[in-house]
Parts: sequence; C-alpha cells; structure tokens
Amino acid sequence: MGGLFGLVITSCLTIELLASQNTEPAYKLDPNAWWGPECTKYHNDTSIRPFEIVFHDKMIADLRYRLNNHRKPVPPLEGIGFEYGFNSNILDGWLRFWAEEYPFKEREIFLNKYPQYVTNIQGLDIHFIKYRQKAYAHQEIVPLLILHGWPGSVREFYETIPHLTSVNKSRDFAVEVIAPTLPGFGYSDAAVRPGLGMHEIAVVFSNLMKRLGYKKYYVQGGDWGAFIGSSIATSFPNEVLGYHTNLGLSLTQKALSLTLFGSLFPSPVVDPALADRTDLLSGHIRDAMITEFGYMHIQATKPDTLGIAMTDSPGGLLAYFLQLISTGTRSYFLNLEDGGIDKYYTRDQLLDNIMMYWAPKSITTSFRIYAESLNRRTLALGISEIPTPVPTITIHASDEIAYQSPLLLRTKFTNLLYTTNIDTGGHFLALEMPILFANDVLNAIAEFRNWHAKGGHGNGELLPNNNG
Amino acid sequence: MSRLLFIALPLLVLASIPLYLLVLKSPPPMPKLDLEEWWGPPELKQKQDTSIKPFEITFSETMVKELKERIKKRRPFAPPLEGVGFKYGFNSKQLDSWLKYWAEEYPFAERQKFLNQYPHFKTNIQGLNIHFMRITPKVPKDVEIVPLLLLHGWPGSVREFYEAIPHLTAVSKDRNFALEIIAPSLPGYGFSDAAVRPGLAAAEVAVIFKNLMARLGYKQYYVQGGDWGALIGSAMATFFPKEIIGFHSNMALTLSPAATFLEFVGALFPSLIVEPELANRLYPLSEKYSTLLEELGYMHIQATKPDTVGIGLTDSPAGLLAYILEKFSTWTNPDFRSKEDGGLSYRWTKDQLIDNLMLYWSTKSIVTSMRLYAESFSSRHFDLKLDEIQVQVPTWVLQAKYELAYQPPCILKLKYPKLVNASVIEDGGHFLSFELPEIFAKDVLKAIGEFRKLKNVKTEL
Repeated sequence: MGGLFGLVITSCLTIELLASQNTEPAYKLDPNAWWGPECTKYHNDTSIRPFEIVFHDKMIADLRYRLNNHRKPVPPLEGIGFEYGFNSNILDGWLRFWAEEYPFKEREIFLNKYPQYVTNIQGLDIHFIKYRQKAYAHQEIVPLLILHGWPGSVREFYETIPHLTSVNKSRDFAVEVIAPTLPGFGYSDAAVRPGLGMHEIAVVFSNLMKRLGYKKYYVQGGDWGAFIGSSIATSFPNEVLGYHTNLGLSLTQKALSLTLFGSLFPSPVVDPALADRTDLLSGHIRDAMITEFGYMHIQATKPDTLGIAMTDSPGGLLAYFLQLISTGTRSYFLNLEDGGIDKYYTRDQLLDNIMMYWAPKSITTSFRIYAESLNRRTLALGISEIPTPVPTITIHASDEIAYQSPLLLRTKFTNLLYTTNIDTGGHFLALEMPILFANDVLNAIAEFRNWHAKGGHGNGELLPNNNG
Repeated sequence: MSRLLFIALPLLVLASIPLYLLVLKSPPPMPKLDLEEWWGPPELKQKQDTSIKPFEITFSETMVKELKERIKKRRPFAPPLEGVGFKYGFNSKQLDSWLKYWAEEYPFAERQKFLNQYPHFKTNIQGLNIHFMRITPKVPKDVEIVPLLLLHGWPGSVREFYEAIPHLTAVSKDRNFALEIIAPSLPGYGFSDAAVRPGLAAAEVAVIFKNLMARLGYKQYYVQGGDWGALIGSAMATFFPKEIIGFHSNMALTLSPAATFLEFVGALFPSLIVEPELANRLYPLSEKYSTLLEELGYMHIQATKPDTVGIGLTDSPAGLLAYILEKFSTWTNPDFRSKEDGGLSYRWTKDQLIDNLMLYWSTKSIVTSMRLYAESFSSRHFDLKLDEIQVQVPTWVLQAKYELAYQPPCILKLKYPKLVNASVIEDGGHFLSFELPEIFAKDVLKAIGEFRKLKNVKTEL
C-alpha cells in the first residue's frame, strides 16, 4: 500500500519541512514554563512524596463490566492476518482473559515492587520509580534516567531493572535507576495548556533530576524516550554524562539528505548488510511507513477525537495497543492471524502496560505528545538540528521501526562511541530482551566512564563497530 | 553553438514534461471488470435471490436500551487543553450535552418513522444485500420520469439526502422531466451488507451499482455523488458510458500526474490555471498541503488499520459520535476548528446529525465502512490508474466554498473532457446536500436539464 497515498503524504511532509525553514522561532525553551493550573503556580510544592499504584475495586468492577459487555465486533475479512489491523477473531479471547484471568490484586503488588514517588515539577506531579540495590563500598552509584515512550510505560523496564541495577564486584559502579512517567501518561499529570512537546518535556526531566539532587547523570531512551533523551543531551550537555538509545535517530537536515542520497547510492552511507533497514525509496521502507504510521498521523492531528473511544472502551484500547505491539515487535507478525502477540510477551505483561493507561485514564493526554511535538513550533525551535557532544552509544534491533547508520547518527551525535547491531529484537527492546538490553546499557556506561576518565575529548573517531 | 545547446537542451527537457504528461502519454487500459464477482459467503452463490424486497428501518427496543446504557455508563473524558476549540479534535467539553441529548431526548420512535418516510428496499447483488431508497414522483402525462442514482460517502449515509429529495423529485412547470431517486447505501455502510473477502474497492462498488440499476430495470440513468459517492460515480461514468448519460459531482477531483503538474504550474502562474477570485481555493499550495496533512490523519489510519480503530468505535457511542461529528464540524467550515462547540449547530439540528450516527451505530457498520479506504487506497486499486482514464460522459460539478479541495475546470477537463459546467458557490461545505438541500437540488436539476438537451442534440444528429 503505497502509491497515491505515499505520494500525497511525502509531498505534504516535504513541503511542510521546507515551509518551516522560514519561520522565525516562536519562542525559546523556558526552564520555568508552568504546565499546571494557573492558580497553583504560587503554592509550589517541592516535596517528594511516596506513591503507590492502586487498582481500586470500583475501577476493576467497572472494567470487568465493560469487558463482559463489549459489543461483539464485526468479523475480519476472509484469509487475512493483521493486514487490516487487529484481527477481531482474537479479541474475545483477550477480553475474557483480561476480565477473568488477569489477577488484578497480584499485578498491583507486582507493579509496586519498586519504590515510587511523585514530585511537582513546573506544575505537574511527575511519577517516577527510583531504585537501586545495595552496592559494594568501592562502587560509585551512578544515576540512570531511563525514559519510556508510547504506547509504553515504566512497565517496560520491570524485567530489565534487576539486571540494570545488579551489583557486580568487577564493576566500579552500580546503577540507580530513575524511571519517570512522561507527563500526560500513566500517573504523571498532564499539561493543562498547549505547548508541552518533546523539548519541553526534556526541560521537565532535567528539572526532575535537579530536584532529586543529581548534577550529572546518564540517560537511556527508546521511542519518545529516545527523542526526549536526545533533547536533554542537546539542551543540557553539561548534565548528561552519556546517552544510550535503542532508537538512535538524527533529525538533522544533513541526515535527511544523506538518507535520500543513500537510497540511490547505499554504499557510502550505510553498511551494505544493513542497507535495506534504511532505504527510503525502494518501496519497502516507504510502504512500511505508510502502512504503519496512521496512528501517528491521527494522534498528531486529532488526539482528542480518538481519545474518546479509547477512554470509553477497554476493548478498543486493547486492540489499538496490541496491534502496535504486534507490528512493532516483528514486521512479519502482520501476516499472522493472532498477530504473534503471545510469542515474546506474556499476557500479564501487556495488560500491565495497558492498565497504566486504563486505570489513570491517560490515553487522550498521552496522544497529545504527538500533536505537541510533530508541529511547526517544535521544528522552529531548531533543537533537533543542533549536534550534541555528549558521548552516545546506540543499539539497533533488527525489527526496530527505523535505522540510521553511524554516518548519519554522527550528524547529531558528534561523539558517537560505538553502535551495536543485533539480528533480533523489536521496538520494545527492554521488555522483549531485558537481559541483553541491560548488558548493553551497562557496557555503555562503563564505556562512558572510560571516555570521561581519558579526558572526555571526542575526536569524532568511531570505535570499532560492535556487531553483537 | 555549444552555448545554444547548453540553454536549449534543458529547456527541451523541461518542455517535454508537459508535452508527455498532457499530450503524448497514452491513457492506461480500461480495467478488466468482473461483473459477476461474488462478495458474499460462497455457499449462497447457488441460491441467489434476485427479488427486490421492501425494507423498513427498525430501531429495536433492545438496541435502544443498550445504547442508552452505554451512553449513561460512559467514563469521564480528559478535559481539553485551554483555549483550543476543536484544534486537537472533538472538544470533550461538548460531549456531555450531545450524549445527554442522545440518551434522553433523541426521540427514537419518531426518528425511525421519519427515516421510513421514503420507500426502502433490499436486493441481492453479487452476494450482497444492497439497501436502497427509491422515490418515484407522481407526474402528469407530459412529464418524463428520469432516474437519478444518488451516492453518499463517509461518514455520511442516505440520510444526507432526506431534505434534498423533496426538491429533487418536485414536479415543476419549468421542466419537462421529474427525477426518480435511487439512493443506495454503499456496501459495508448502513443497511447494505459488507463484503466477506478483500478486494471491494471503489471500482468494484461501481460494478455493484451498475448491476443494481440493471436489476431495477434502468437502461440509462444519471449519477450524482459526493465524497466516496463522487469517486464511485466517476468510476461508473468511466466504465459504463452507455448506461450513464450524465454525471454530477459535488466533490470533483482528479489526482493524475498531469493534474498535479498543472497545479504546480499554477503555483507559479496562477492566471494560467485558475480564475483570480478562486485562486485562494487552491493556492498557495503550501497551505493546501499543510491543511491536508492536518486533516488526513483519519484517512491514513482508515486506509491502513480500519479493523483496529473500528473496535473502539463499535463499542463506544461517545467515541463514534466524537469521531464522526468532528468531520461534520471541520468539513463544513475549517474555521470551526477554532470554535469551542465546533460550529455543529450552524446548519443542523441534533436530530439530523444523530439520525446519521444511528445508521452507523444500529448497523455496527463503522468498521466495514472504513474498509472502503483500505481497499481503495491499496496498490492494486491505485494501479488501475482510474484518474488517467477520461470520462466520456457529460459532467457537471458543483463546487462549494468550503469543500475539502478545489480544482479549476482546466484541470478537471483532463479527466472530464465533457465538462459542461462548474457551478461555484460562495457557501456550503463538504456535506452539501445535507447542508444546503435547495441549492443542491436546484443545481442537480439544472445539470440534468442541460444533459437532456445534449442528449437530444445527439439523438437528433
């Protein structure tokens, strides 16, 4: 499915990009922008309060009622898998599981296994996990700000956190994880006024780390977490000791030009073995973008419309999420009648994540991150264009939604230390492969520490490519 | 000498583009259509019932009760951002009043009666029970009855025509003809069955409606359409110029390479392409594309994942209302995006808009209605290159001020060389028949009058 639609979308995007070059920056980032109600501005509460996730009985009863009274969906077309979206043949099974087998109270206990807190940053109560294990005396505790995306949540990190925070005698450091919930998601407040895009969220998180007493820290991010992390590394380079991402992307014009050039002449731009992960003009990548990015398009333009059905119908929310988790995990899942959803995750895991949207009713406000970030105002800030000297390490899973070669990444991350390419894994890497993920992050932190110990000067030279 | 070549060569290359696109490029072949393609369950193929059965719309007590329950039990919705009107989509502050009305004041029995005021029927075409209204006026002896196939789109329904039908079917001293209206529900919409297998795109719907008209005994007829109705009507006029003797569209658009080329030419030299007072309906192009990007999210997701987004919309009446009414707001006037109530009370009563919603809700047809996008935006359908095949049928277009896209006659003529007239009006939006029924009807009747004159001239020759 490309053709006409692809042409229209590509033309629109190109013209939009070109048109926005001439706009004057609307405003610069305000470190004190207030996102809460005006009236709360002067009662600034800087306390850090413990927080517990609660699945109230009333909420559970209401949810079960909706699941059991879900209006029977229309059957799918003959002989298809997930090509038209979530195959309604499997909906009943999922809803029944959620209503009758998902153990709410047990899951509530599970979700509270890590200490959690809220603190008010710029008018928004920000929810976060803060956790570390007992370290050896010789080990330095290093803070790691780890950022989720959409349709994820801090739940994505629960299996990897024990490994990330594991204490290993042979390492001279141990990690303290700070995993916040993005504003408008889960149990974090949502902005009451427009303007809270990815760069503004970066400011909120920089302020969060200051509130928690960290002058310098490492950042890890995937999905929106990658964009926010990249923004933090750009706007606050003196705070970020190192940036690790599983969705490394440079959004500079240089990178865009190189991508288009690389579509025609791959070998100077990308390793031939990885060329088909990045080719925009061949049809394969372009088609995938057209078929898979409808959700992004509608969320970036009419978040509040779509949010209404998703707030009201748990089946609707589940189908929406699981379709994305399906195709985001492996592209070939598109052709499976069950969407391959049970292959790499348990149902409890995926429902835990959905509960982080259903229980706090945050689906609509979570959609808004697209509308607030994919617009001219954000482009006009020009932050994505500015390179960052913060040492950066990336990992690239085989079925991640986008790939850029080191050449492209270095247009943004001038001190890209190394990249790791794996021939497995998808978009939700931390959830899918928690041990591999944790090891890669820990190795990265060790490398960052080395780099700083050696004087921290980037000569732009890439370390030998790490193809794990 | 070489300098001349240096200038002449690139100019030649540049000139060859329009020459190729506009003159030399041969049109794609007429697609091979299977006029008997079966869209229903295979086991029914042997015992197809070709009778035409009367049909009545029923809002069953069970359905109404369940709908009211769901509306009452809705979850509270996230408040909108400060000061945004409908810019982020349907403003949730408006929902309560709409939902309260739907659950407590919308008179279901009355509206059922209203919807049944015109005769409804169903007949099985190619495996699908197709619903349609047929309204035949009573005429004096010297007035000829001529059939008009009236085609709705998404997120509309036959409901869009109810106010226009009395005007369309009126008998008048000024005319020697009166219209008989055949207004079907598109397959997968309202009371028409949906295909059980992939492949039912606009071209295939055109075949179904050709067969419908043949079933009803019409050898020649006129077609009117807006939205998908315009695309399907255009396909019908492309494929069946013998049967269709006139085509009226209120959303005329052609998206061939040649059309796009001319649009770009007009970006540099507007006066070559469009009347000065209408230039702002098309230019500047950057604004047009920006608006398209802003408004086509629904199209993108429906063309790719209809079955996903449809599940929530099948389950939540509030979700369905917001999703559909957002279009009745923005597509009526894009300025309504700044209004807190989306300007929904500007042209319609709540009953009118909820009638239309009921045709989606009571039939559970939102998912199947969206599949038309996925089918029609597939590479298979796109490769038919319908936009590059000319329509050899007299065509008349009505262009409302706030229709989603505008193209001037010189561009339309690439596809519709027999374009008789383009009526430009300084009012109205996408749902024109619904919004301005009298103006709409008047224009359609005028068009048919002209089509008849042309026909008579032809037969006289």
